[in-house]
Amino acid sequence: MKILIVDDSSTMRRIIGNVVMQLGFSKSDFDEAEDGVKAWKLLTEGTYDIVLTDWNMPNMNGLELVQKIRKEGTHTKIPIIMITTEGGKAEVVTALKAGVNNYIVKPFSAEILKEKLDGVMKK
Amino acid sequence: MSMSQEEIEALMNGIELDAGDSDDEEPVVDDTPEDNMQEVPSEVLSEDDIESLISQNNVTADDVAEEPTIAEDDSNTTINDDDIEAMLASIGGITETPTPVKVVEQPKKQAQTAKTVQDNHKEIEEIGSSWASKKVEEGIFPYPAAKDHKPLNQLSEVANDSEEKASKIFDVLSFILDENNVIQQESKKLDEFLNKQIALMQALSNKFPNIAVFDANHQSALELKNSVKIINSRVDAENMQLFEAMELMQFHDINRQKIERVMAVIRKLSGYLNNLFEDDGSHKEVAVAKHIHGDENSDLVGGDDLEALIAEFNKQ
Repeated sequence: MKILIVDDSSTMRRIIGNVVMQLGFSKSDFDEAEDGVKAWKLLTEGTYDIVLTDWNMPNMNGLELVQKIRKEGTHTKIPIIMITTEGGKAEVVTALKAGVNNYIVKPFSAEILKEKLDGVMKK
Repeated sequence: MSMSQEEIEALMNGIELDAGDSDDEEPVVDDTPEDNMQEVPSEVLSEDDIESLISQNNVTADDVAEEPTIAEDDSNTTINDDDIEAMLASIGGITETPTPVKVVEQPKKQAQTAKTVQDNHKEIEEIGSSWASKKVEEGIFPYPAAKDHKPLNQLSEVANDSEEKASKIFDVLSFILDENNVIQQESKKLDEFLNKQIALMQALSNKFPNIAVFDANHQSALELKNSVKIINSRVDAENMQLFEAMELMQFHDINRQKIERVMAVIRKLSGYLNNLFEDDGSHKEVAVAKHIHGDENSDLVGGDDLEALIAEFNKQ
């Protein structure tokens, strides 16, 4: 299974990657992108099974990326989990309307990410 | 109370501009015996000589004009050491004696004058700078709008620096985690060896119960196996702490976003205030009052003072 981690903070990307590795994945199982533009480029060049994306990023934010993924390209049905500091109800609703499958508010624990990943993969 | 440019320059050259000093300047010529002046025509200075001396010593033209007894003479004569010393001493206690100079050497003197002026400017700038720094330290003046004092620059620097350092901290944590994995892998090999040793010693001990060394080695191997188990459990606990530390580093990202939110507020506020205070650019500078009734200023005149002043001027 191939995972795409999208976050403008390199620390955050490493934290998510570390949690993913704790769940039994190896480093070769995931790629990283620092904004929506680079994530979209990777999505157009390769095949992924799940996207874990932040919301607030430069160039193209997470919400725009989700909308683009759902509209265009070869990954329109890919499971997407948004991992963000945006904890407002309105933001969660906006993200869900845009097409995210699940939503995690930072800070999160490895257990929560595992739970959400399992939930998304089962569907 | 601020100092005038003249006062600052005077201070730089050790010249006091108070009333007493102007009186001191007068005797230079007054003290000179009239006979002496008449007997030695070389002492009489031309207008050019006076100008060059003034420029050397930063004496204003007005000061020179006040010298009443120096007769005007167009003759280009030289002055001796004593004259220069006397002149300098009368000007403000400057005792440094220049070598005998011909007044006619204009280019050299101009260069000296230019150097003196430059030095004076430098010193004035230094005085101004130290005065301003003191006022900033006292909290009277704000910090200058330099890069180091601009909130947005500083916040941006903090966010970027902490991102960089957080990444390095993560490197350290990852290194410890990797090393712990190596320790656990190596301890597995040790554990496998100890299992074999325990089995061997147990067999030997059972077969030769009278040989105490087999039983002792069997016991030692069991103890070592237990030690390896303890090391592994400690490493596991350490790994859990490392994972927790890594999770806690999410707060770095959260705090960075808080800083970015503050930066956004400052930017918007700055834009708003600029819009609020800017005008259409067609304004003219308007003269503003320096002293207005109600100001807390010792220079303000009261009603009585004003009347007294008016009365005094009317008398004249």
